[in-house]
Amino acid sequence: MAADPELKAQVEQILAENPVLLFMKGTPEAPRCGFSMRVVQVLEALGVEYGAIDVLPALQPLREVTQEISDWPTFPQLYAKGELVGGCDIVEEMLDSGELAELLGVEDTDAEIPEAERILPGGSQTSPPMQLG
Amino acid sequence: MAADLRELEEMIRSALPGAEVQVLDEGGGDHLRAIVSSAEFEGLSRIDQHRLVRAAVRSRFDDGTIHALSIQTSTP
Repeated sequence: MAADPELKAQVEQILAENPVLLFMKGTPEAPRCGFSMRVVQVLEALGVEYGAIDVLPALQPLREVTQEISDWPTFPQLYAKGELVGGCDIVEEMLDSGELAELLGVEDTDAEIPEAERILPGGSQTSPPMQLG
Repeated sequence: MAADLRELEEMIRSALPGAEVQVLDEGGGDHLRAIVSSAEFEGLSRIDQHRLVRAAVRSRFDDGTIHALSIQTSTP
């Protein structure tokens, strides 16, 4: 099914306004999917500022939009400068290799996620999740 | 319906000739991991490497055989 053009335009605008944007299930404070939580932890570990969109309230319409924009059907999805970087696997691999810090323009602090934070995401530098719809 | 891991490996191999491919079951027969090493990944971003692997098995996503596929890519 074709994506809703209005929603697609809205997503494209949010992508243009947010150099680092995460589509996730739940919010950075309360992720509702383990993969989304792991990407939040990576971003927190790097100390990068990012916007987050909770896809759950509009899962299927947003899936159709991201499928059209970047040919990728699953969430989470991390975007940098409007381009899809990847989901959880890619983000974690790129954290380990230092590529992610470079791409996001932050110091590679040799960010390791402490074990405790793998269970309970902390941190306070996230912006509030945006509402769509 | 559990996925046929060997069939999936074959699908990836025919999309990426010469690739080293391993598909593992990470639980329940529908959460899988594909480990793929291919010379065709040279010069591609990771997301594009993953897109090639995902595209090779797309029909098994579409028919519901696979629900989740973790992908690990590398170049030989």
